[in-house]
Amino acid sequence: MMSAGTVVRFDGLTKRFGPMTAVEDVSFEVRSGRIVGLLGRNGAGKTTTLRMLLGLTRPTAGHATLFGHAYSDLPDAARRIGVSIDGIGPLTAVTGRRDLRVWASQMGVPATRVEEVLDRVGLADSANKQIKNYSQGMRQRHALATALLADPELIVLDEPANGLDPDGIRWLRTFLRSLADEGRTILLSSHLLAEVEQTVDDVVILQQTLRYCGPLDELTEDGQVSLEARFFQLVDTPAREQAHA
Amino acid sequence: MRNLVKAEWLKIWNGRVWWILSGFALLMCAMACAGFLAEAKKQLPRGQTTPEVVTTTLVNVWFMVELVAALVAMIAVTREFGNGAINRSVLLSGGRRRLQVAKLIAATAAGAVFAAATGVLAAASPWVFLIGTGYRPAWTAETTWTLLGVMAVVVAGAVWGSALGLLIRNQVAAVVTMLLSTWLVSESLFRLVPAVGKFTVDEAMAAVYHDVKPELLSPPVALAVLAGWLALAAFAGGRQFLHRDLP
Repeated sequence: MMSAGTVVRFDGLTKRFGPMTAVEDVSFEVRSGRIVGLLGRNGAGKTTTLRMLLGLTRPTAGHATLFGHAYSDLPDAARRIGVSIDGIGPLTAVTGRRDLRVWASQMGVPATRVEEVLDRVGLADSANKQIKNYSQGMRQRHALATALLADPELIVLDEPANGLDPDGIRWLRTFLRSLADEGRTILLSSHLLAEVEQTVDDVVILQQTLRYCGPLDELTEDGQVSLEARFFQLVDTPAREQAHA
Repeated sequence: MRNLVKAEWLKIWNGRVWWILSGFALLMCAMACAGFLAEAKKQLPRGQTTPEVVTTTLVNVWFMVELVAALVAMIAVTREFGNGAINRSVLLSGGRRRLQVAKLIAATAAGAVFAAATGVLAAASPWVFLIGTGYRPAWTAETTWTLLGVMAVVVAGAVWGSALGLLIRNQVAAVVTMLLSTWLVSESLFRLVPAVGKFTVDEAMAAVYHDVKPELLSPPVALAVLAGWLALAAFAGGRQFLHRDLP
């Protein structure tokens, strides 16, 4: 059963690496059953924000919760949240099937589930190939399969469309929508604005600080303004000016 | 926890690294046995050595597997940091402390497998290598203690490698550190200042497998020193793993 209401909450999240501020005072919520696009330029702090959400990077200030808990305190977190984030690679020197079986074993998920997710992402026929021989698109599908292993309520994806060809992008869009239709919540980061515009319900725009958070329709005035135009308007305006606007 | 340990166990045996290193160890030990035996065959007729000493030394030679067990365990940990899979391991483990414990348990189990195989090969080697020499193996209590010592250091080596891997994270740096420590630092320190050098992890191991070097610690004290080193490495590796951001 999926949780109702707020699934993810960021509250004043800040991360500094020495003198460099990667993310500053970011607060927003992700509601249940929505596909939320976290948008920003390269280096805007998207991956850092997601890593802080998952407890992989320690925030300098603020906190982030999933289902009301920090990731480390969330009961059964591994089964409730599926993750595919830039920098989390598969195991070395293994086939796709073996990689998934190891992770399934870690979560106590039966091996039959491995076959299900392989089938679902369209890798069943390639699963005995070494992952190092996968194309970039196959790697993305494999990462999605890994995220889906435990049949999670919330799926966190970092740049899932990177490396996909046009067919793959179209497949991903349909795939994500089918996951959301099953009641799952999806938080995905991307810098592919045109793609995101066709996929997400809500948009969060980040450029070190939060620039926008809300429904896509409101941002684009029901499609009268393109997401791209609104995006550049928001990220090119200094945060201070927006605060005073 | 059982699932976690099982997954860590599977990760250790992924790929070809472990059997390439095992094959290398087998070759090195066989060459060392053959080399030692060539010398022993000259000394035995002259009474400069005895079948008892030859038998024990042929068993002792297998201590070299310790380095392989350490490298296999170390590489299993460091390659996860290299490819970023450590992030997923943490996410799915229910906490970094649990993951560290699971890694150490899996490394200990892998060490036990290496130790069991080493035990069989080491015990068989006097019979294998003395064939056709006109001499028979002479198994003594000292040979038994040597065999047990060799097996113990192989297990300890795997734990040592895993803990160092968590501490250093970078595969090249970790492997170089271990090889330098084994072949240069411990050996040099023992030769220059034996009173200090005998407390290094490698010389403590040498005492446990009854190496013939003078001035080594007694085996019980060496075991305690070795346990101290392992506890220190596990503590330092764990502290680093718990408090430092993942790559």
